[in-house]
Amino acid sequence: MTSTLNGITLKGSAELVANFFSFGINSILYQRGIYPPETFSRITHYDMNLQLTTDPKLKNYLTKVVSQLKEWLFECTVQKFVLVITCLETNEVLERWQFDIDCDKSAKESSAPREKSIKIIQDEIRSVMRQITATVTFLPLLETPCAFDLLVYTDKDLLVPDKWEASGPQIIDQSEEVRLRSFATSIHKVNSMVAYKRTDSV
Amino acid sequence: MLLSNRLMMDLEDDTSVLTTLKSFNSFISHTEAPQRLSEGSAGSGNLHSQYKRSMELLEAGERVHSNNRYLQLDGEKKQMELSHKRARYELEKVASDSARDLEHEVDRNQDLLGRLKKFQERETEAAKNLSEQVEANRALRKNMEGLNRKLEERDTRLNTANQTISYLKDEIRELTQRIQNQDSTTSSQTLENQELQEQLDLQRRKYQEVSQLCQSLQAAQSSCSEHIVKIKELERRLALQEQDIAIVKTVKSAVAKVPDLEKDLKRLREDNAFLRESRENCSLLKEEVEGLRRKLERMEKKKEELVNIELEKERLAEKLKAWENLGQSTGLNIRKPEDLSREVIHIQQREIALKEQNYTLSSRVRSAERSQNEHRAELCLQRSKTLEEQKKRETQDSLVRRLQKRVLLLTKERDGMRAILESYDSELAPTEYTPQLNRRLREAEDILQKTQSHNVEMEAQLTKAQEETGTLKLQLQTVELELESLKKHQASAADSNTSGTKEELSILRQKIEDLESERQRLEEQNNILEMRLERHMLQGDYDPIKTRVLHFKMNPTTIAKQQRQQDIDALREEVTRLSELVRSQKEGGAMVQGDSSINASLSPSLPPSKEVVDLRKQMEILELRNQRLKEVFQSKIQEFRTVCYVLTGYQIDITTENQYRLTSVYVEHMDDSLLFKKGSNGSMQLMETVFSKTLGEMMALHLHHQKSIPAFLSAVTLDLFSRQTII
Repeated sequence: MTSTLNGITLKGSAELVANFFSFGINSILYQRGIYPPETFSRITHYDMNLQLTTDPKLKNYLTKVVSQLKEWLFECTVQKFVLVITCLETNEVLERWQFDIDCDKSAKESSAPREKSIKIIQDEIRSVMRQITATVTFLPLLETPCAFDLLVYTDKDLLVPDKWEASGPQIIDQSEEVRLRSFATSIHKVNSMVAYKRTDSV
Repeated sequence: MLLSNRLMMDLEDDTSVLTTLKSFNSFISHTEAPQRLSEGSAGSGNLHSQYKRSMELLEAGERVHSNNRYLQLDGEKKQMELSHKRARYELEKVASDSARDLEHEVDRNQDLLGRLKKFQERETEAAKNLSEQVEANRALRKNMEGLNRKLEERDTRLNTANQTISYLKDEIRELTQRIQNQDSTTSSQTLENQELQEQLDLQRRKYQEVSQLCQSLQAAQSSCSEHIVKIKELERRLALQEQDIAIVKTVKSAVAKVPDLEKDLKRLREDNAFLRESRENCSLLKEEVEGLRRKLERMEKKKEELVNIELEKERLAEKLKAWENLGQSTGLNIRKPEDLSREVIHIQQREIALKEQNYTLSSRVRSAERSQNEHRAELCLQRSKTLEEQKKRETQDSLVRRLQKRVLLLTKERDGMRAILESYDSELAPTEYTPQLNRRLREAEDILQKTQSHNVEMEAQLTKAQEETGTLKLQLQTVELELESLKKHQASAADSNTSGTKEELSILRQKIEDLESERQRLEEQNNILEMRLERHMLQGDYDPIKTRVLHFKMNPTTIAKQQRQQDIDALREEVTRLSELVRSQKEGGAMVQGDSSINASLSPSLPPSKEVVDLRKQMEILELRNQRLKEVFQSKIQEFRTVCYVLTGYQIDITTENQYRLTSVYVEHMDDSLLFKKGSNGSMQLMETVFSKTLGEMMALHLHHQKSIPAFLSAVTLDLFSRQTII
């Protein structure tokens, strides 16, 4: 967390958002059953019980992505962060979890920390996580074996780091979108939404 | 006793008196002694005195002595008195005691007298009692005598009883003897009993053995019955075998038809081949037909197109003619399309020039419109300002009215208050009211002052508002003047171009309207497109110019896809391998029944599974067993049937279900047989045959009257035996 009590620096905000993504992705993977539930262990964070994966390969992948994402958040060059769930049999995209990131570019490294209570931010994050858990009620069941992918929408003139490549947006054909809650540190604002393939058209 | 006490007390007093006297005397003697001595020294003169003194002393002494004597005599007297008293007392006591004793004696006497009387009475009573007793005694003696007599009788009886007792005892002895005899007999009998019981046990054991034998017999019987059942089954199988024989015969007959069938087969095959060829031809023909049909359709379409094209051609020809005539109609020098194009270019140039003019005019118009709009806007502003000022003025007027009303009310209040005050002053009530009045006065004065100040403020505001309205009015008037001037200017400006520009204005107005409608439409389209864009953004679309989508190269989806592909390939390979295995197994399985060696040679590459080999072996064993059982049953059945035939004289065949045909040994013709049918309730019924018609008498006798089938059958045998010609 941040060093000052109430003020959020750019670095601290980037870390908060990256942590949220890390836990959020784990939660989504657990809820949607992409990985078997026995590979998840229960931990407490943001004053609630969350699931974290114990699969070493998955952990490794997530840490790499999240660390790179943290850098980009610090540079304010990331626009969206998307988790795509594809069906392995038909290679169709079934679900898309999209997080739009608005970065206040006026807050640079040297500027003073902004006033926003960490508790409020945590409450907001908690409500978003709870909503993610609640989406299970209306999202269609994923019956076929699925795999997931993480996409990052960045500015065009960015240098592509090693081990990353360009990809398509992987949009769902005939999707239903549902907007979820958003949370904001005083520097970054994250809007969440989930898009899923309409089941009657399948 | 009291007297004695009193005496003692008096004595004591006397003694004390005496003692005191003695003491006094002693004292005096002492005092006198020293006095005397003292006086002695005085001189001889004192001898007289001394003599006197000594005489005095002697007198005193005598006195004392007399006193002492007196006292002694008193004492003695007292003692005498005391003794008198004592004696009296004692006498009195004695008297009293004697009186008492007397009394006692008298009492006792009386008592004794009474007792005497009582005793006398008792004596009389006792005498009476005595007499009575004597009489009773006499009666009792009589009773005694009676009793004695009874006793004697009883004695006699007792004697007799004793005699009887003795007799009885003798009898008892005899009985005991008999009992002993009987005991001996019972013992002997118990011994016999025991022997009998032993015999009984032996018998029981024998019985058990016998029962066991019986059970074994029954078991043997059941086994016998089972054997009989088996025999029946074997007979049934025999019948089935005979049926099979019949079937075989039919099969043979069918087999005889085989060559004919083969011929038919050949013919049919030829027909088949022919039909196949014809079918192929048919299919070919069908394809040709379809091709022709398609061609037909195309041709028809082409025809239609042709027709359309011809129509178009005519139209185009007409157009051409019209175009050619154009030149003639317009009067221009047009013969070729080049001239037309030239003319068109001219016209276009003219158009361009006109358009330029149009544009300049439109720009002027636009500027004019702009200025007009500005003025209009100013007008609106001013109008709105005036409206506001009017509203303000109205509000001010209303405020003024309200204030005036309030002032009126306040003045009324004040008058009222003043009246009250005056009334209070006039009444000059007690001093209690004065402080309240003063307070009220002060309050009223304060209120008055406040209202006055408020009034002053309102008046000031009013004046300000009035001034503002005045200024605004001035402004309005100036603006109106300017407007009028502008209008005049515009009118003057417009008058110059009225003829030409009125049309342009209308055209321009129309253009403006069109542009406005187009703008609205474009706005709507813009909104729709924005919504669509947002939706696309939600779906994940992005602007390729500004953003780029990145992902990790080794992401889980690609890894999973690769894994899946590998799995699929592996599964496919396994599937092909397993299908080959299965095919080889099937071929190997088909050959097993015919030739096992070939099976062994066929499957060197594929190892036959142990289960399959075991199952095949089991199958062979079971089939062998089956065959053996069949042979055994056949032989047994045959044996049994022959035995039955020999012993009973009847050959029993099962023709159909539940129908049994009996042919006798001694029958004259081989076709003579009896048919029995088994009914649903298990009873056998004789069916009518040619032979049975001849046995009507025996049937009536044995079946209808005696109701016995064996009797009937034996009667038939005997009859046939008697009739037989060949022995």
